[in-house]
Amino acid sequence: RQLSAAKKSLWMMTDDSSDGSEEMDAEEGEEEEIDQDEIFDLIRNICDPEHPTTTLEELHVVSASQIFIGGSNNKPNTVKVEFTPTVPHCGASTYIGLSIRVRLIRSLPTRFKLDIAVKPGSHQSEHAVNKQLNDKERVAAALENPALVKMIETCLTGRE
Amino acid sequence: MDEDFSHSLQKVAELGGHEEEVWHIAWNPAKSLLASCSSDKSVRLFTYNHDGEGTLKFSLATSIPTGHLKTVRSVAWSPSGSTLATASFDSNIGIWEQEQPDEDGHSGEWECASLLEGHETECKSVAYSSTGTLLASCSRDKTVWVWEVQPDSDFECMGVLMEHTQDVKCVAWHPTEEILASGSYDDTIKIYVDDPQDDWFCCTTLTGHESTVWALGWSPNGKYLASSSDDKTVRIWKRVGEYEFKCVLVLEGHDRSVYSVSWGVGNIGQEADPLNLGRIASAGGDGIIRVWDLHENPSSDKPTAKLVARLPSAHGTYDINTVVWCPRKGYQDLLATSGDDGMVKIWKIQAS
Repeated sequence: RQLSAAKKSLWMMTDDSSDGSEEMDAEEGEEEEIDQDEIFDLIRNICDPEHPTTTLEELHVVSASQIFIGGSNNKPNTVKVEFTPTVPHCGASTYIGLSIRVRLIRSLPTRFKLDIAVKPGSHQSEHAVNKQLNDKERVAAALENPALVKMIETCLTGRE
Repeated sequence: MDEDFSHSLQKVAELGGHEEEVWHIAWNPAKSLLASCSSDKSVRLFTYNHDGEGTLKFSLATSIPTGHLKTVRSVAWSPSGSTLATASFDSNIGIWEQEQPDEDGHSGEWECASLLEGHETECKSVAYSSTGTLLASCSRDKTVWVWEVQPDSDFECMGVLMEHTQDVKCVAWHPTEEILASGSYDDTIKIYVDDPQDDWFCCTTLTGHESTVWALGWSPNGKYLASSSDDKTVRIWKRVGEYEFKCVLVLEGHDRSVYSVSWGVGNIGQEADPLNLGRIASAGGDGIIRVWDLHENPSSDKPTAKLVARLPSAHGTYDINTVVWCPRKGYQDLLATSGDDGMVKIWKIQAS
């Protein structure tokens, strides 16, 4: 049940135009702008599964400058997050990338299409890691795996 | 700024009810039924009819709680339209048949007549051959299975094809011959045939896509195969020999992964044009439905593709997972799409 709720929130986030209405009303329907720093705030405190007491920011895995917002100027609709694995053979890279993806899917309006990738040259299996992180079917299947979901939730909870 | 297209897609129906993303849909080839499947593990069957005023109306016939333990990734009807197959991330394939109507004439329940086990990981696609005597399935376990359909919902595995080096995303049978195609995360397409003296084997590999091949669709005349990919293109492959295929066209324009492609008859038969190859619809992560008319070219072996309709935001901001033409006579101008918004939508293509 819990699993399904976690997954449901994945693709089926209520749209920004229909939800968040209280905030929207306060701003008279103006759409909140989303910038690099705001997205960085969402992911900086995610923990590394191999170093559960250290955040991705502290490990220099993520930074605001590695976040790219695209689309037209008045209607941005793509977010690309690059992250830098701690070592080029880092086995936890897919979990880190998946944690970033899950956090952003849950937090950003659905109009944003997400691309998650390791920093070019930072991982020996760069292509394989990137391909896996951006295959929606693999991501969906991974999030039906209870052990994996538990690990990701732990990473997302971060250091309290 | 509006581009001019010769055709437009008019919305006929919006069918909700799934609680999570709808991965796949399949038109029943024989009856007024459309099946959809979702991460919510259910299959919904919709029926359609013309009302008194001649308007086409869709309504829910039934919802099947499949009992699959994970996402139902794809559905396929047998050619007779009496059997439905479901492929699930729980690695199993369900075979569904409807019970006889009861004494009061209430239509029977859809029951699981058989459960095909064998794949080790997520089953991603399932398809019946044109005669309905064979079923193909594929999985993240890198294999393609060919099953023989026997009486009493019995299935015998005729071959396990271990040709791909990565997940197999889709399988598609040739419209008339016993030729099977599969597309994979390894970026290739493989074609298989049965050796009468031996087993099923891979007769050729089609390379050219630069990323995952998500979907395949044969042309109505069986001489071409369309493939859609994470590389944002649709490729058209022409059968140039018994076991020989050549890429003759690359359709570009999509901004993100093209998750689905469907090749319908279009105006074939309605106009006296022997070169008419029918109509391709493609859609994916950019949320745009594109429709292309294809014609053979008398002076070249490359067909001509013309973009005849383009519909952005067909499912709002959400990805489109499947686009498919209705195969039934009289309804072949209908297109169904399904998306991450949990919706199934029906469109009619019209000259604008």
